[in-house]
Amino acid sequence: MTSKDLVLESAADRTIRFERDALAFTDQLYAAALRYTKNPEDARDLVQDTYLKAFTSFHQFEEGTNLRAWLYRVLTTTFINTYRKDQRRPQIAQAELEDWQVAEAQSHTSDLGKSAEVEALENLPDSDIKSALQEIPEEFRMVVYLADVEGFSYKEIAEIVGIPAGTVMSRLSRGRKQLREKLAAYAKELGYSVETSKKAVAKAALEKGDQS
Amino acid sequence: MSYIEIQCGEVLSSVIFIIEGELEQLPQRSAIEEHISTCLPCTAEIAHERAMHDLLQETLRRTCNERAPEDLHQAIHRQLRAQMAGATEVVTQFSMTEISIEIDEFGNIEHREIQIEQTHIQHFIDEDRDETR
Repeated sequence: MTSKDLVLESAADRTIRFERDALAFTDQLYAAALRYTKNPEDARDLVQDTYLKAFTSFHQFEEGTNLRAWLYRVLTTTFINTYRKDQRRPQIAQAELEDWQVAEAQSHTSDLGKSAEVEALENLPDSDIKSALQEIPEEFRMVVYLADVEGFSYKEIAEIVGIPAGTVMSRLSRGRKQLREKLAAYAKELGYSVETSKKAVAKAALEKGDQS
Repeated sequence: MSYIEIQCGEVLSSVIFIIEGELEQLPQRSAIEEHISTCLPCTAEIAHERAMHDLLQETLRRTCNERAPEDLHQAIHRQLRAQMAGATEVVTQFSMTEISIEIDEFGNIEHREIQIEQTHIQHFIDEDRDETR
């Protein structure tokens, strides 16, 4: 009888521990789910499914390891297996990802281009930032979100998404690049073009001249 | 000192490794570092990339901070409690067989078997659910 009590107690304890530790991440997981699913209804369902799955496999979670990363892995896997299945969207070809370094040989950006980009990022409304993030391919969006918003290391992201670390790096590089291009395009629509930035540079130079 | 001389393009295509502090992953690491130390445009480009990355990160963090709706918190809580209530029906089946053998002075063997069976079902009351009703 004593051993049974112990088993019962640990199951109850586990539930309490789960509620105490895991539910603290609901807001964060919801924000991530919004990025994944792109709509509040699916995000809601995804977070609920995630917690249910996490709860039923909580005994597999090793205490003392990173609970937040573990929850994100459950969230991401649930999303990939459940919500993405019926979309039947074409996946990015692996070959295309592997030659990214060669394909992305770059040249130097002009100072003008640089200041326009900074100005665009500083002035765009939140809604435009979110739209731009939604428009980049899902594979890129996930890693950019996990790295730049959640602050996971590329090794953690490899675990969470279930892809090799090298692939994380290339998706991160391409994702950020595409995001910045989208943001620059939005900024252009809003009038923060190179033209306005030329004025800004001229203005800054004038002010600098005034000060000296 | 021996290194393979590389071009700006190669340095710039590795900029993600520089920003992420993972340059040691690349075999051409020392050549890249050597190039950066002498190439002003590359140094400026990397500084710009770093600044843009910080700015982008800051912007994304500021923007993507939605809170879960209050009823979602409650729904998850209810769901877990329901899950737990389902899991805490404990069925204890207990059975025991008592065997006794008696041999009297004439050598007669008396053999007795008594089987005791007990089934105990214990439900745990879901306190939380009653509370919210």
